[in-house]
Amino acid sequence: MRWIVKLDNGLARISRACGWVACVAMILMLFNVFYDVITRYIFNDVSIGMQELEWHLYSMVFLLGIPYALQTDGHVRVDVFYASRSNAFKAWVNLIGAAAFVIPFAILIGTYGYSFAVESYNLNESSGDPGGLPYRWIIKAVIPLSALFIATSGLGMVTYALRVLKGEQSYDVEHSGGGLA
Amino acid sequence: EETFTLRLAETWGPNFPIFGDTTKSMARMAEEMSNGRLQIRIDSSNRHKAPFGIFDMVKAGQYDMGHSASYYWKGKVPNTLFFTSMPFGMTAQEQYAWFYYGDGMDLMQEVYEPHNMLSFPGGNTGIQMGGWFNKEINSLDDLQGLKMRIPGFAGEVFAEVGVNPTNIAPGELYTALERGTIDAVEWVGPALDLRLGFQQIADYYYTGWHEPATELQFLINKDSWEKLPADLQQILQIAMRTASYDMLIMSMHENANAWASIQSDFPDLQVRTFPDDVIQAMYDANSKLLQEAAERDDLARRIVDSQAEYLSNARAYTNISDRAYLNTMAELE
Amino acid sequence: MIGIIMFGVCLLMLLWGFPVAFTFGGVALVFGLISQGPELFAFMPFRIMSVMQNTVMMAIPLFIFMGVVLQRTKLAEQLLTSMGRLFGGLPGGLAISTILVGALLAASTGVVGASVVAMGLISLPVMLAHNYDKRLSCGTICASGTLGQIVPPSIILIILGDVLGLPVGDLFKAAVIPGLVLVGLYIVYILVLTRFKPQTAPAMPDDSGLSRKQEIVSALFAIIPPLALIVIVLGSIFTGIATPTESSALGGVGALVLAIAYRQFSFKMIWEAAHDTVKVTAMVFAILIGATAFSMVFSYSGGDYLLEEWIMQLPGEKWGFLILAMVVILVLGFFIDFVEISFIVVPILAPIAESLGINMLWFAILIAMNLQTSFLTPPFGFSLFYLKGVSPPSVTTMDIYKGVLPFIVLQALVLLAIFIFPEWFGMSASSGYSGY
Ligand code: NA
Ligand code: NA
Repeated sequence: MRWIVKLDNGLARISRACGWVACVAMILMLFNVFYDVITRYIFNDVSIGMQELEWHLYSMVFLLGIPYALQTDGHVRVDVFYASRSNAFKAWVNLIGAAAFVIPFAILIGTYGYSFAVESYNLNESSGDPGGLPYRWIIKAVIPLSALFIATSGLGMVTYALRVLKGEQSYDVEHSGGGLA
Repeated sequence: EETFTLRLAETWGPNFPIFGDTTKSMARMAEEMSNGRLQIRIDSSNRHKAPFGIFDMVKAGQYDMGHSASYYWKGKVPNTLFFTSMPFGMTAQEQYAWFYYGDGMDLMQEVYEPHNMLSFPGGNTGIQMGGWFNKEINSLDDLQGLKMRIPGFAGEVFAEVGVNPTNIAPGELYTALERGTIDAVEWVGPALDLRLGFQQIADYYYTGWHEPATELQFLINKDSWEKLPADLQQILQIAMRTASYDMLIMSMHENANAWASIQSDFPDLQVRTFPDDVIQAMYDANSKLLQEAAERDDLARRIVDSQAEYLSNARAYTNISDRAYLNTMAELE
Repeated sequence: MIGIIMFGVCLLMLLWGFPVAFTFGGVALVFGLISQGPELFAFMPFRIMSVMQNTVMMAIPLFIFMGVVLQRTKLAEQLLTSMGRLFGGLPGGLAISTILVGALLAASTGVVGASVVAMGLISLPVMLAHNYDKRLSCGTICASGTLGQIVPPSIILIILGDVLGLPVGDLFKAAVIPGLVLVGLYIVYILVLTRFKPQTAPAMPDDSGLSRKQEIVSALFAIIPPLALIVIVLGSIFTGIATPTESSALGGVGALVLAIAYRQFSFKMIWEAAHDTVKVTAMVFAILIGATAFSMVFSYSGGDYLLEEWIMQLPGEKWGFLILAMVVILVLGFFIDFVEISFIVVPILAPIAESLGINMLWFAILIAMNLQTSFLTPPFGFSLFYLKGVSPPSVTTMDIYKGVLPFIVLQALVLLAIFIFPEWFGMSASSGYSGY
């Protein structure tokens, strides 16, 4: 049991690290877009590189945000049955869902995403537009990275479900959205 | 007899006119000529969702064929740039001659060979228009800081003479031009531009110089190609070549009709040609960029040289034939 | 056939309560492996890349950020309660304010994920705190957040313009009146409903010690700053300072400036707002990626061809064709994403409509109205998922499903009105239209 707790905590840390990077990307993206609008309107200056950086950051926000939201139970559920069920029921739903859906899905995307990024690296792919960003493989590599972290978050769902089944944790505190609104 | 089915991915959406008609007519001809032994199944961008992933998907064999434009792969393989159309380059007639009777096809195969693909001309738009402007360009000064949606190599040429090439999502182009977020938009020609409605908001329509003969491309995965028996390979080549020629004349037909309707509905729209000094500056910028490309890579140099040589030879004849005739006709008007 | 079974299985799996996004993805995985093998998933990186490069969707995180900051600084609450106060003793004031703010946001974005989530963040807590009926609150928010899809600028209209070959500008102009009619009808509905059931939307309590006149003045004064923010966002689009997508960043930065002005600003606040934004954005995009995997398997297993064959059998006479076409789109909208419908179904319908002499602009607006309803129809309406994703646990999926029903009826009415009386909306049913 102790190793599950350790593993679970370790996996949660990985997902939170993804969340941290995504938050930084979010703030940078906000000011990136703002900067581009201001320089274009006031100084009549446009940088396609800066414009491309916008979608690079935006991609990081959701690609790294997805594993983070998995760990924090931020993904929306249809709670018609789920909400009123016992912790054990929830644990089984999450355990089976993570093992059958999340992890295999992430592994497939990660595998093909890896070839996708390697191809880009081998070609030394860059933007085709004037002043665009080089090293397109970097942002493409975030796809398999995201898949890897989704898989570890999925594993985290499994370990957490096991802890719940052992009666050592519960789903009480967590709920999709976390009552953000 | 064995039937062969090739899956083709195109950059365009399901009923994108002219470009999409080309793949459909190619597939139909291949099927009819082969008596049904060669089937081509077309997936438009709504199905594969990767309009700019055709190169990778055909290379990896996820699709057997692709229909796209070679210059979209400039960021992946810089030498693919030269096989669509170059600023101040050949006209469609001249360029087809270069492909089929000059060194064009051989050089193109040399570029695509390392990627396990064959590339064939895939239909021509004819000369593209220079774009929709909300500002008249009377001198080089008017270009300074001009915000224009103009991608790729032509964008680099424009950037050299002071234009600010700008990225705008295609869905927001209309609003951006209407509201003055940008000053100009380059798209294709009347038939396709009409659909985006630029004629309703722009004051000037400039004549072209940057894409005198935009050639699309058919891509074929080499393994898929080699699986075909010799007669079907032959049939496929004939179908692609015929469909390409058909696109050129269809473009002429559709553009002529679209232009007639724009002229009658928007009589205030002004057609302009860039002044001589602007054209000269862009020509110099273009030569400089080509020079740089040629210095970076030997194959690039051979392509640039081949195109330049063919152009000067073919143009000398165009001058005493087509140009002379059009000049004669101009006198009559 | 596989496509149809997939929908059934997906529906069943969703009920278990596993996250929606990964249920889509997981069902796609199972059926994709069975019907095509693992190589099918080699297309996924390309599809994800398309989402990454779809810069219009950047509006989603940016608008959410604006919404979160407005919520955290209590400025949203101030905006809505003050607007609600203007209605005095009249019930339903908050709901009407929500609809009006939703209409303003709709005019600045065409991305439903952005406006529904932002509206959910801004107004759900306020409505619940003022004892509004949960269902009415959810329905109002989903419906007014989804307005972004019909009120220009709009993604549906841009896609339909592409698919039908109509100029985007004409479509935008044609959609203005139907959009406004919808807004008006929502408000009328709230007024009528609260007349008979005032307890579903209680009037704002009196601000004690203030005369009615003072109350109105202080309410107007309180509305100005947050409303100015929305006006700046809209204004930046109309004056060409920013594209609609970029305007959402002006909104985000503007919200921060307001926070500073109201002494609510701290780096901790920004950081927490970024956290909330990332979580909600991830929720929205996970659904989009799950859905793209789902539609990939649906298409590549032949589902789209089946659909095509099926639609080809529609009757070849004008009104019969139109009615059935609208029903088909409405029913498909229960299950399939609007982008898929636009690309699979509309291209088949278009040539038939054209040959029947139907005005394509009118046809496009009918489809757009119909498709925006698809965001609201249970069980797969995305707006419903998005709102659920930012709701407190006390709001259940069922509350949302039931809450949107009256609004779906209202939309069906407007659709019917455009259908029967196109001239009321400045259109004609037959093509005599001089456009292209
Ligand atoms: Na062009
Ligand atoms: Na909108």
